[in-house]
Amino acid sequence: MDNAAPINPPEEELIKVRSSRFGTLEIKSDHVITMTRPFLGFPESTSFFLIPHSDNSPLMWIHSLDDPDLAFVVISHTNLPFSYQPEISTAITRELDTNRDEELELLLILTIPRGDTNEITVNLLGPIIINSEKKLARQLVLDAGQYNPCHPLFPQA
Amino acid sequence: MLVLARKTGESIVINDNIIIKVLDSSSGQVRLGIEAPATIPVHRQEIYQRIIDENKKAAAKTPTDLDQLNNLFTSLETNKG
Repeated sequence: MDNAAPINPPEEELIKVRSSRFGTLEIKSDHVITMTRPFLGFPESTSFFLIPHSDNSPLMWIHSLDDPDLAFVVISHTNLPFSYQPEISTAITRELDTNRDEELELLLILTIPRGDTNEITVNLLGPIIINSEKKLARQLVLDAGQYNPCHPLFPQA
Repeated sequence: MLVLARKTGESIVINDNIIIKVLDSSSGQVRLGIEAPATIPVHRQEIYQRIIDENKKAAAKTPTDLDQLNNLFTSLETNKG
């Protein structure tokens, strides 16, 4: 049933990335995410890519192309076990080259201490906002009166 | 670093569109009023530091094996559905 197979599929450019966690990875060049502002505390890394933990897993790694050691575990805000809908300013949507909020997704960084899943926290104060279509992202700084940088992921589970 | 002395009620202007005014000061604390366009984020410096600290913790601590956490999410989804 392979009658529709293209004769010459377009060649995707692959980039080799070194990772201290995963060894050498090959990623498609059009999967590279450019940070419009680098992660706070990591000014040298501006290019990242996402690696899903496994099929159907909410967990992903956002991994640096510039630093083999730098990677964060993230989840989409839609996978949080509670509601999270911070207001996004138009300056931010403009910076990410869109005027439609629907094109933007929030990813939350998890801090995962070894061994104990009860101690996992999620950074609600500094979420990552990403335009998946245009592959642009940045870390936001929200109102510290409302959002906790180390909120327990599973409170009183 | 540029150093300017200001009295209560006096201001400085940055880039023609950001005004920082000294509202009052007492016992080592200064209250500042800031007028800036909505597109200019204004935060206490400690907020940035808290995010830097949390980023560093998240980047350093994370183990590579996430299966246990992944299973936890899967069981939550199952309970929901």
